[in-house]
Amino acid sequence: MSALERLRAELTGGEMRKPLRALAASGQLGYGIPDAALAAGLKREPHFIGCDMGSVDPGPYYLGSGQLATSDAITRADLTKVLRGARSINVPLLLGTAGTAGAKPHLDTTLQMVRDIARAEGLHFRLASIRADMPRDVLKAAVRAKRVRALGAIAPLSEVEIDGAAHIVGQMGIEAFQRALEAGADVVIAGRACDTAVFAAIPAALGYPLGPAMHMAKIIECSSICTTPGGRDALLGTLEGDSFTVDSMNPVRHATPMSVAAHSLYEQGDPYRVHEPEGTLHTDSANYEAVDEHRCRISGARWEPARQFTVKIEGSTRVGERAVLLAGCGDPRAIAAMPEILTNVEKTVRELVAGLVSGPFKIFPKVYGIDGVTHWPTAAPTPPREVFVMVEVIAATMADAKSVATVFKQYLLHNGFPGRISTGGNLAFPFTPPEVLAGTAYRFSAYHVFEVDALAPLFPLQIEEL
Amino acid sequence: MKLMDIARVIRSKNAGPTTLTLDLMFNDETGYVQAQGSPALQSGAIALLYGLEPRQVEVIPYPPACAIKIVMDRKVVAGTPGDRDVYGAQQHGPLLEIEL
Repeated sequence: MSALERLRAELTGGEMRKPLRALAASGQLGYGIPDAALAAGLKREPHFIGCDMGSVDPGPYYLGSGQLATSDAITRADLTKVLRGARSINVPLLLGTAGTAGAKPHLDTTLQMVRDIARAEGLHFRLASIRADMPRDVLKAAVRAKRVRALGAIAPLSEVEIDGAAHIVGQMGIEAFQRALEAGADVVIAGRACDTAVFAAIPAALGYPLGPAMHMAKIIECSSICTTPGGRDALLGTLEGDSFTVDSMNPVRHATPMSVAAHSLYEQGDPYRVHEPEGTLHTDSANYEAVDEHRCRISGARWEPARQFTVKIEGSTRVGERAVLLAGCGDPRAIAAMPEILTNVEKTVRELVAGLVSGPFKIFPKVYGIDGVTHWPTAAPTPPREVFVMVEVIAATMADAKSVATVFKQYLLHNGFPGRISTGGNLAFPFTPPEVLAGTAYRFSAYHVFEVDALAPLFPLQIEEL
Repeated sequence: MKLMDIARVIRSKNAGPTTLTLDLMFNDETGYVQAQGSPALQSGAIALLYGLEPRQVEVIPYPPACAIKIVMDRKVVAGTPGDRDVYGAQQHGPLLEIEL
């Protein structure tokens, strides 16, 4: 009997659905899973364990480069905890957005870790992996058919951008996870996935109402972030037909109606609607009530099935090599003149390196203390005593980026300006070399949604026995 | 009265790499209602603070959590060279100076 069949036999009978317990072990696997709460969660005998392992938040570098944002050692340790935990109680383990960004290299790295851990721990199970790399020809056909729409402030997707991207992934929904479970998977490791799909796939496959199931998935996917005080401890969601209860596995973190309702705001452009490939979750009709001081019951969310399947895509494209100049300044006159000084130095640098670099380059200076964090429309009433200057250089090659950064450094250090008294130099270097060669730089070239007629062909499934 | 004096939470974060979302949360309905009615928290006023067009800013009341959500276009797609805040977690500064 497969893992899903066991759950079906245990939880369902005719129209009846017994309470289903979902353990959210981690909202960001690879940053350390607190042991006590995970152990407490396993004692509650969850029917499955879910983990989210990635996000678009860390920026385009990870998707573009194929690198993980998390360290090798901590990622392996976290994977070991959840694999060991799920196998110890013989329930499915579902993991979404493998390796930070969920493209091929991220999924391959994660799968190899899972195989290594299974071998080392003597664990045996059926492993399903689901790829999320979007076929370029399919995307180009969608562009030509005008079936692609930008999500927010980004240029329309073009065939040139599709060809130029290092990686383009699509977010899979519950369909892909269900296909893996129907194929008998004990452990599902997915490429880029909707975080809700990790937690809603099993309830949906077992016939629980999709409104509460999807809402529970949305609330629990970040583990105990929805509690007060918020944290990263494992969180248990119990789905009871029309409502669900959330319960942090750390007794000091309380899920209150306010803390859970507030979580609907978190990183969401729309607090009342969540769009998924297969439909839309509406939470405007949701009710939040305290069960006791520690737990909250939620009911009333509605699920509206989509008339047209859509897949959200993310693409990342290399823009060049990055060198960064880091220096401080504590001279009030230099600080006051800094915008002008930076403009002059850039002009000088462009003249000096012309013909000596292989291609065009860009310089982005920022003065922390003035406008490093926020592009303020007006100046601060009093100037800061010290500022930090960070000059980002993006060039075609690292040799070019280094040339620009080093010349910039020297001319910024010694640039004269009216009223200068600190003639020893304008900058304080915390260390040398003050220019850091930061590697390849990327940008998001796709953040769009496209209409598809069938989801399954986009997210191929592979099964292996460990 | 300053927004900062009555809000429990004033936070910013990306909602995807093209959108910034700012959440204002209040301790109770009184604070929420006070802020909700203020002209300083209408989309045009917020747009001015951030150097955006009014159509690029949306203000959404969220009574279940005594909260107001502000959603705006990012000027630079997150992480593109020249960006100032990849996660968008420190873009609440201009809101701290708002007089209701």
